[in-house]
Amino acid sequence: MEILESINWAIIAPIVIIQLILMAVAIIDLVKIEKANGPKWVWALVILFINLLGPIIYFIFGRRS
Amino acid sequence: MPVVSITNLKKRFKDQEVIKGLDFQLSEGKCIALLGANGAGKTTTLKMLAGLVKPDSGTIVYEGGEKADFRRLIGYLPQFPVFYDWMTGKEFLEYAGQLAGLPKAEAKDRAAELLELTGISEAKNRRIGKFSGGMKQRLGIAQAIIHRPKLVMLDEPVSALDPFGRREVLELLGRLKKETAILFSTHILNDAEEICDEILFLHGGELIESGTLADLRTRHQQAKIDLVFKVNTAEYAEEISLLPPVSSMELKGDSASFLVEDIEDARNLFLTEIAKRKWPLLKFEISRTSLEDVFMKVVKK
Amino acid sequence: MKQWVTLLKKEMLELARNFKWIWVPLTFILITVKEPLTLYYLPQIIDSLGGLPEGAVIELPVPSAGEALAASLSQLNTIGVLIIVLIAMGSIAGERKSGVAGLILVKPVSYAGFVTAKWTSLMMLIWLSYFLGYFLSWYYVGILFEFIPFVDFLQSFFVYGIWLTLIITIVILFNTFIKSPGAVGFFTIGIIVLLTLLSTSLSHLMEWSPALLSAYTNTFIIGGNFPDELLPSIIVSVIAITISMIASIAIFKRRELA
Repeated sequence: MEILESINWAIIAPIVIIQLILMAVAIIDLVKIEKANGPKWVWALVILFINLLGPIIYFIFGRRS
Repeated sequence: MPVVSITNLKKRFKDQEVIKGLDFQLSEGKCIALLGANGAGKTTTLKMLAGLVKPDSGTIVYEGGEKADFRRLIGYLPQFPVFYDWMTGKEFLEYAGQLAGLPKAEAKDRAAELLELTGISEAKNRRIGKFSGGMKQRLGIAQAIIHRPKLVMLDEPVSALDPFGRREVLELLGRLKKETAILFSTHILNDAEEICDEILFLHGGELIESGTLADLRTRHQQAKIDLVFKVNTAEYAEEISLLPPVSSMELKGDSASFLVEDIEDARNLFLTEIAKRKWPLLKFEISRTSLEDVFMKVVKK
Repeated sequence: MKQWVTLLKKEMLELARNFKWIWVPLTFILITVKEPLTLYYLPQIIDSLGGLPEGAVIELPVPSAGEALAASLSQLNTIGVLIIVLIAMGSIAGERKSGVAGLILVKPVSYAGFVTAKWTSLMMLIWLSYFLGYFLSWYYVGILFEFIPFVDFLQSFFVYGIWLTLIITIVILFNTFIKSPGAVGFFTIGIIVLLTLLSTSLSHLMEWSPALLSAYTNTFIIGGNFPDELLPSIIVSVIAITISMIASIAIFKRRELA
């Protein structure tokens, strides 16, 4: 696992944090919202397991506007 | 000076002529019901008055002339009002008030007042998305009158409500009557009779009757005599219908109804004939036709 | 003016209530900053995947700072633009479709105010997100590669921003006469793709095309100079933005809202 050592975590950390914030906000919204555009548990999976894009896909297509 | 004058208003959607030339005026402080069956053109008429649908021909002139922005004068509630679900009831009313030109502080006061008047003030800080149908209807009425318009137009304000909500909204409209002119559409004569002074009766895109309720009653009510005989009612009725004062006859089961021209003449003539021929009369009743009968007759034509 | 502020405040509040102030900037940051990072770590990433096959000698050229920043810009030009269109496609069409526009516009609301307030709120959201994303990407490029002069960053930021502004304006324009948000999105994307394809394949004929602003910005970041065609392209863009805006208002006034 050389790659883990060679990476400067001070540089990567902000990106990881942003990703986590996006996830958290999406999940909070999903819980609070009355009805999502489809089953909520599916959206929870999308938000948590589709890397990078999951929360964004939820915000664009998951909220019933 | 009428609040609005409508002349020769016409509208067609694709190949169907929905409004076939309307002429009427609405004056200040009156409550007028736009009555008609489904598809008579009530919603289209109201939408044209609100400026949401453009007429094909004819004019709608509000007090203040064609150049001024008539939207200050009117309040409008569509049949199925939709709001911003993410706003609270209070926020929406304040927003609507400010858009209508009220200063911020006044919009706040007026919103609080109307939340109270319409009976939804305990839900004022709830998101509208969580409101029930009846609450939305009341919020809709509140937003329509927030800027004290001279004319409020309500499209079927009670049709979607349960009997309880319907009662409440009708009472609310009764109270509003003192503040502003109301034009509201309905397909139920009872609702119209309950709070309105005048009726515009729309059928197939045409105005077929209008006027005050009292006028309409005297104009359309006819004296009616109901007769029931022990046997063979139909046979006797046939003969009686030949008497001169009778204008029409209708059989309903065991009883026969006669519309008559002159009630005094008819009563004497009926009774002498029946006595003379010794027919077995069981029931003799004099009554008047109701507006409902009149409208049913017109609609069926 | 007072009414316009009311309209704008409502748009701002809506953007806050549906978390757009949070997720749009964060998304723009992610898609832009990802580029310099992956470019910098590409050798390690390839190594970690098992390295190159024996005997394959591939010289991975070390990208320049300009190329890394340009890569961020191309992310903005694809995913960024797509997100902008998806966010904006319902801004008026959605309200008309649901019927709430009918309720609002029977109040004495200025049609021009309604349209421009929508436009302004979108502009604020997108420019903020774009700035944060592009600025942080510039900063990362500076740390990982070398710093590009801040003045150059600013110049490229504003030039490319004109293209984004035009896109926002076109979405609003379509919003004023198409009632379905999906159709608005479809047609806007269609126009953007068509314009970009035409402009790049016929670039000698269409050097004034706004769609080439991103290409010109790329040239500038990598080579240090804007081509001469930049000015006509900016002028055409500004004219197109102005005309679209005026047309939006004129069309919206004439529309039946019910």
